[in-house]
Amino acid sequence: MVIDFNTLYNFPSRLDRVFEEMLRSPMGDDRRLAYPPLNLSNDEGNIYVRAEVPGVTIDDVELTLTDKTLVIKGERTAPQGKFYRQERPSGVFHRVVNIGVPVDRDKVAAAMKDGVLTVTLPKSEEVKPRTISIDVA
Amino acid sequence: MSEVAKKETEKELSRFRPATDILEREDGFHIFMDMPGVNKADMAIDLEEDELTVTGRSGQCPIPGERFVEMQFGACEYVRSISISDIVDREQIKASLENGVLELFLPKVEKVQPKRITIQAQ
Repeated sequence: MVIDFNTLYNFPSRLDRVFEEMLRSPMGDDRRLAYPPLNLSNDEGNIYVRAEVPGVTIDDVELTLTDKTLVIKGERTAPQGKFYRQERPSGVFHRVVNIGVPVDRDKVAAAMKDGVLTVTLPKSEEVKPRTISIDVA
Repeated sequence: MSEVAKKETEKELSRFRPATDILEREDGFHIFMDMPGVNKADMAIDLEEDELTVTGRSGQCPIPGERFVEMQFGACEYVRSISISDIVDREQIKASLENGVLELFLPKVEKVQPKRITIQAQ
């Protein structure tokens, strides 16, 4: 596909290529959304924001928590050299996530693993579901 | 063929071609592949003749009781083959995975040094 200096192609492998080309690219078509792609989820106690930012270290990401939003900012730099193919996006990225519920600002944690950033925002005590016992008079 | 394809889509994860950068430097070729969420253990790199195939699975293990509001990426399989030329030293290919980016280094074969043949005098 790329570093082809060979002139003799063996046919069966070329046929594989045709199918391979049909595989979707993560940056293409239905996934062409704002960068980086985000997963938003929550459970009883926390809100989770996950972002796919391969090649970025936790120090390169700037997280800002404002009143109702979480801002993810960072930059991806392209490697240096003579390019044969460049598909990986590079440059500054910026995404704003609206957080609808009050969060415990002091306990917000962020972790990076295998290029996936996870921000855990614990919900404030006042919004957590609570059982109220009713005393029957 | 169609049967095989059908079987695959049923049980396999959705497959993606990872975004790839291929570049040449003085020392050889460098290939960068974005494979977020892929662990070193879930990755395989195979070299078969002139084809270098990289496969990796990105696992997502949601916390029990987690409800997704928005999902723009998920568990998937990354597959990509690259054909490499004869000037690559196959024995010296190096791979490293860091922060979800696979870096492959393909050094060029040392040029065969010209050699003078001495003639033995009788």
